[in-house]
Amino acid sequence: MSSPDAAAIRPSSHSFDLRSLTYITHVDDNLCCPICQSPLVDPFTTSCRHTFCLACITDALKVSKSCPVDRSPLDTADIKMAPVVLANLVNDLTVLCPNHALGCSATLSRGNVEGHLKEDCQYVTVDCPGCGEKIMRKDRQGDSEDCVHVEEACRYCSEKHRKLDMKSHEAVCSAFTSSCRHCGIECPLSKILAHEATCDEAIVNCDSASVGCPWHGPRKESTTHSVSCPLTHLRPLLEEHNSRIANLERENKLLRRRLEASLTARAQTDIIQSNTTTALDNQTLRVLTEQERIRSDMERLYVSMQELDMKQNTLAMFMGENMRTQEEVAMIGAAVNNLQTQLHGLQLLTIRRQGMDQNGAGNRSDGPSSQVKRAAENGVLGRAGRECFSDMFETRD
Amino acid sequence: MEASSNLTAANAPKRAAEAGATVTKRLQTELMQLMLSPPPGISAFPRDGNLLSWTGTMAGPADTPFANLTFKLSLEFPSNYPMSPPNVTFTTPMFHPNVDMAGRICLDILKEKWSAVYNVQTVLLSLQSLLGEPNNKSPLNGQAADLWDRDPAEFKRLMLLRYREAEEE
Ligand SMILES: [Zn+2]
Ligand SMILES: [Zn+2]
Ligand SMILES: [Zn+2]
Ligand SMILES: [Zn+2]
Ligand SMILES: [Zn+2]
Ligand SMILES: [Zn+2]
Ligand SMILES: [Zn+2]
Repeated sequence: MSSPDAAAIRPSSHSFDLRSLTYITHVDDNLCCPICQSPLVDPFTTSCRHTFCLACITDALKVSKSCPVDRSPLDTADIKMAPVVLANLVNDLTVLCPNHALGCSATLSRGNVEGHLKEDCQYVTVDCPGCGEKIMRKDRQGDSEDCVHVEEACRYCSEKHRKLDMKSHEAVCSAFTSSCRHCGIECPLSKILAHEATCDEAIVNCDSASVGCPWHGPRKESTTHSVSCPLTHLRPLLEEHNSRIANLERENKLLRRRLEASLTARAQTDIIQSNTTTALDNQTLRVLTEQERIRSDMERLYVSMQELDMKQNTLAMFMGENMRTQEEVAMIGAAVNNLQTQLHGLQLLTIRRQGMDQNGAGNRSDGPSSQVKRAAENGVLGRAGRECFSDMFETRD
Repeated sequence: MEASSNLTAANAPKRAAEAGATVTKRLQTELMQLMLSPPPGISAFPRDGNLLSWTGTMAGPADTPFANLTFKLSLEFPSNYPMSPPNVTFTTPMFHPNVDMAGRICLDILKEKWSAVYNVQTVLLSLQSLLGEPNNKSPLNGQAADLWDRDPAEFKRLMLLRYREAEEE
């Protein structure tokens, strides 16, 4: 078999069940085994293309020879190692050291867990080099081959303690002393810090240093100083003032920041608002003006139309009248022509009669044609005619 | 294969010890998921600090006689969970064709159809749908199966009577 099968990597090849690790980042569901619902450990893929931890699918197949996801028939021979990229992805996930609960604070990529447990982790159980009993690696005394369970005398108090417990004994051993930095008194290691914090010889500042007292000296003198220190009496007041001022300053700063922020925000919104409102106003105004203009135009047009209508009517009336007048004029003209012709005829007759009268009376110096010609030259043919008319009528009457 | 089975046998005691850790880890993972994204209408939590015993709560599905009622269940996980199913029973008195008077449930996925990929959430959701769609062919409660089809009003009356027993206790 060329590709690795289930037998190639055995679940038991791990010194530790990686499925019980605690992951410190969220793990994508696609990287999780459907059976243990944790990130895949030694991912193996079935012939039906489902991926499980090798240990999980092996256990499941012991119970039922079918795929836990789709129930298709399945045997150990049908599962193959998943692509290496998948294994690398899950091995890069960050986990807590399995001994986290015991005190190890290491976080590491899952692929390094076994190495950490094997080499570094101080909280793994190891055999005591002497007696073989289980101890934590941190309790081994270096590379010493001695049994850590053998009792020995404390270097300071000579009390008997197991090597295993010696470190914790020394921390409380009353004989393991150290001298005070201030007074030089010898003190058990466990108490030295507490003593130094209250040592009479320690140089301390005045309690009122915070409000400006420059005094410092040994603690045993500080009480005497305090009594005479003027600032000590004022201190509660000063401190209250100071804290009040600090509070006010903080508040002031906060308010100023808030004000600035809101002013900026306000200015921005104002700009935006005024921009939009002016734009809006201008546009509305334009539209309204246009509308008003159109409305008044319409009104004007309506009025003009009415006027035009009236004019047309009047015109039509006039036109009708005019036509009648024209007809009348034409008729009158015709009548006038007729009368002129008649008058002309009558004039001719009159002239001829006068001619005959002159001829008869021997006075023929002025011919009738010359008399008509003179009248025409005077431009008063009409009048002449009319006169002639009346003459004629008078004559005729 | 010969060698490998020997290896497996050699590691058997160790593997058995690990099984406990595997169950614990898996149930912790499930608990975390249920707490981080609780599915609507169901909840479950270990009782008495024992990770292998949980109490589940389930809302009766709408449009069924069980609507607006809440049912409690007990889930007991075997040491080889999820290879074997949890033992699930109703602790609220239940009147349903597939639940007997002791609260035991007849549902294939809790028996022969169990799969290691099922979990508390899928179990509770399956039970929720079982309430509205009982399997009346092989009832545990014949009266309930009979009334479910024949007399829904009477079914609901008797179911509520049973349910009230819990409230009076
Ligand atoms: Zn798994
Ligand atoms: Zn499958
Ligand atoms: Zn560690
Ligand atoms: Zn020892
Ligand atoms: Zn000592
Ligand atoms: Zn001292
Ligand atoms: Zn002072």
